[in-house]
Amino acid sequence: MNDQDQNDARGPLSGYRVLDFGWVLAGAIPGMVLADMGAEVLKVETRQRMDYMRLGRPIVGDEPDPEQHPMFHNVNRGKLSISLNTTKPEAIELAKRLVPHCDIVIENFSPGVMDRLGLGYSVIFGIKPEVIMASISSNGQSGPLRDLRAYAPSIGALAGLDSTMGYEGERPLGLKHAYADIAGALHGVFAIVSALHQRKQTGRGQYIDLSMLRATVATMGAGLMEYEMTGRVMKPKGNHDPVMAPYGNYPCHGDDDWVSIVVRTEEEWQGLKEAMGNPDWCDAEEFASRYSRLENRRQLDVNLKDWTRERTAWDITELLQSHGVAAIPVMSAEDRLFNPHFQERGLYSDIEHPSLGAEPIYNLMWNLSQTPPSIRRHAPLMGEHNRQIFGGLLGISEEDISRLEQEQVLW
Amino acid sequence: MTYSLLQGLRVVELGESTSAPYCAKLLADMGAEVVKIERPGIGDQAREYGPFLNDQPHPERSGLFLYLNANKQGVTLDLETPTGREILGGMLAHSDVFVHNLHPTNMDHLGVNYENMRPHNDQLIMASITPFGLTGPYRNYKAYDINLAAAGGICEGLGSPDREPLTFGTPEVGYFAGMAAASSIVIALLAGAGQHIDIAEVEAMAGIYNGPEALMAVYQWRMTRRTGHHALDFPYPNCILRCKDGYTFVGSPEGRQWRKLLEIMGDPEWAKEPRFRNRTTMNNEYADEVDGYVEEWLMEHTKAELLALALEHRVPLAPVRGFDEVRNDESLADQFVAVERADIGPVYLPGPPYKLPGQEIGPPSPAPTLGQHNSDIYCGELGYTKEELVKLYQTGII
Repeated sequence: MNDQDQNDARGPLSGYRVLDFGWVLAGAIPGMVLADMGAEVLKVETRQRMDYMRLGRPIVGDEPDPEQHPMFHNVNRGKLSISLNTTKPEAIELAKRLVPHCDIVIENFSPGVMDRLGLGYSVIFGIKPEVIMASISSNGQSGPLRDLRAYAPSIGALAGLDSTMGYEGERPLGLKHAYADIAGALHGVFAIVSALHQRKQTGRGQYIDLSMLRATVATMGAGLMEYEMTGRVMKPKGNHDPVMAPYGNYPCHGDDDWVSIVVRTEEEWQGLKEAMGNPDWCDAEEFASRYSRLENRRQLDVNLKDWTRERTAWDITELLQSHGVAAIPVMSAEDRLFNPHFQERGLYSDIEHPSLGAEPIYNLMWNLSQTPPSIRRHAPLMGEHNRQIFGGLLGISEEDISRLEQEQVLW
Repeated sequence: MTYSLLQGLRVVELGESTSAPYCAKLLADMGAEVVKIERPGIGDQAREYGPFLNDQPHPERSGLFLYLNANKQGVTLDLETPTGREILGGMLAHSDVFVHNLHPTNMDHLGVNYENMRPHNDQLIMASITPFGLTGPYRNYKAYDINLAAAGGICEGLGSPDREPLTFGTPEVGYFAGMAAASSIVIALLAGAGQHIDIAEVEAMAGIYNGPEALMAVYQWRMTRRTGHHALDFPYPNCILRCKDGYTFVGSPEGRQWRKLLEIMGDPEWAKEPRFRNRTTMNNEYADEVDGYVEEWLMEHTKAELLALALEHRVPLAPVRGFDEVRNDESLADQFVAVERADIGPVYLPGPPYKLPGQEIGPPSPAPTLGQHNSDIYCGELGYTKEELVKLYQTGII
C-alpha cells in the first residue's frame, strides 16, 4: 500500500483517540494494537527522559540517534508523537487539555509517578469521567510488591515461568524473551476494548489496574494446577511432555538445524513409522503403545535422532506432515521473513521510515475479515506531530508553540 | 474475581486444550455467557491431560480443564452428524460469538466454516484459531505446543549453544492465541460487523512476540543465539544465578542499579578491574567468571532476603519461584479464588490479571461436568422437549 491508501484505510477503532504515555514494550504495545485497528494514538514522550527503545545503538554511524532503533519502529508504528517535558508544569497543563479530546489513557510508569505528575486517575476522571484509563505495572498499583523494580525477566522469575525453563534435572535457565511484557500488554488490550464495549452501551468510563506479574501468572495454568491438584512443584524437564513421546527438538543434517516433532495418537505413531520406512526398532515392545513410548522416551529419542541427523529439517517436515505427523523446523526471525507460508500470509510489510528507509515491520496478525488491522504509518519522529496536535487540535498559535519549544516544554 | 464489562454477550465455544478455551475464559470472566461444546462421552482433551486431583485420574478431576473452563456452561454435541450440526446452527442463531479451534482439515471434514455458519446469523462473529492459519501452504500442517514455539521463534534462542533448543516448561502458546482472539472478537463487536476472524497460533507467537527480531536480523544483529543462562549483548548482569536456597534473577539495566548492587555486596575488589568497566563486554566475555564472584555473595542470602533487599534498595533482584511459592505469595492472595463443586470440593484457580473497580461480580462458577447443561441449553434455551432430549442422548447426538 502507498501512504495515501494507508491513511484512507479506516480500521474498526477509527474515531477513538488515545493519550498514550506507554513506553518501552509493555506500555507501547497496547497503543500499537489500537493504532493498527484505526485509533488515533498520541504517543506522549520527551527528550528529558527518552523511551528506552529509542536509545539502542544506531544502525548508521556512531552518534546516538533516537530515530534509528528498529525495535522502536516496530512497536510504535502507526502512532503520532507529541513531545511533552513532564518536568515542566506547563507540559502537564497541556496534557490535561488533551484529555477531553481522548477516549483512552494508557500509562506504564512505576506506580505513583502519574500521581506525582498531577495526572493520577482521579485527575484524569475529574476532567473526563467517561475516559478509559489503563495503568500497566509490574506488580499492580497496590500490595507489598508494588514498588519492586521489576523487568520482564524479573517477572518471569517471580511468576514461576522460569522455574521450569531448562534442561532436565539442571539449573533453571530462564526465558530470554519479554514474556511478561507481552502477556501484560495483550491482557491490557483485552481489558481496554472490553471497557470500550461497555462504554458504548452505558457511557461509563473505567479504570484498569493491570499487573504484569498477574498476567503472567494467569498463563501458568499447567504449573499452578499441578501444585494445586497434586502438591508437586515442577522443575526443569527439558523438552519432555508429561503425556506425549516423542516430543522435542531433534538434530538435523545441517549446521545448527533442528526439527520439532510430536506424536500424540497411535495414528500419528503409525504415520511416523511409515515415513521412516518402517525400521525394525519401531516394532520393539518398548515402543508398542503410547504408555510404553512415554516410559522409554529416552531410547526412543536416541533412535529418532539417528534418523533425523541424516536429513534436513525441511525435508523431515514435509515428509512427516504428509504422513499426518506434527513437525516443523526451529525457525529464526530471518527464516520466517523469507518463508513462503508467512510471506503469503503477510506477516511483514515493508514500511518506509525517514531515517532508515524501507523496513520489514511485522503485522498484527489478527485477521478480521471485514475490518482488518493495518499499519497506517511509520513510527513517528520525536515530537513530529506537535503542530498537528497542539496547533490543530488544541488551537494553540504557532507563536506559542515556538515559545513552548524554546522553553523546552515541548521537548 | 469476575467482571461485568461484557455482560449480555452470548458466546459459543467449541474448544480443546488451551487456545479457544482460554479465549472463551477471558470473555466469560469479563461477564459474557459462554456455552462450551464438547464431544459426547469424551470431551475436551484437557480432561485427559491432567494434572488430576490427588492423582486420581478422572475426566472430571483434571486441573487444567477445571482452570480453563471455569465460569462456562457445558453441553455435549456430536458434530459428525447432520442433526448435531443443525443443533449447532440453532445455538449460533441465538449467539453473538462463536470461537473454535478445530483443525482446518477437521473444519473441512465437518463443514464447520464461516460460509456455512453465517446463514444462521449474519451478525455472527466467528473466530477460528488454528495452528498455521486458514490460508497459506502450511494451512493443513499439524502442530502441538513445541512445534508452534519452534516455528514461532521461542526455541531458537533458548538453551545451551551445543545442545538442543528448548521450549517453554509448560504449554503456553495457546494462551497467546486465546488473548489475540478475545481482543479481536471485542474489536469486531465495536466495529459492529458480523465477520470471520482468522488467528494462527504460530503468528500469535511470531508476530507480536518477537517480530522486531526480523528487523534485527536484517541489520545483522542476532538477539536470539543460545547462550545458556546468559543473554547476549546486554549489560551484565541479566541472568539467573544461584543463591542460598535456590536461584534468583539478577539484573541492572541502569548503571546506578549496578553501582547500588555492588555497594550492597560491600564494594568488592574484583569489580574495580578495568576489564569490567564496560558491562556489555563483561557480559559477553567474562560472564562465567563474574557469575562466580556474584554467586559467592548470593550464596550467603536466601530468596526472601534478596527480595527484601530488592525492595529496600530498588535493585532488580527477583527470586526464581516455584509454583508453590507463587501460589502462597501474599501479594497475589486475592488473584486466587476458591471454586467449589460438590464432587471435588474447593479448588483454587488464578483469576484475571486486572482490577476493574466498580465492575466486580463475584467468583466464577466451577467448570461444567461433561454435558452438565444439556437440559438447560437444549430444552431451556433452544426449545427441545424433554422427550427430544432423551432421544438425542439415546442416539448419541449429545
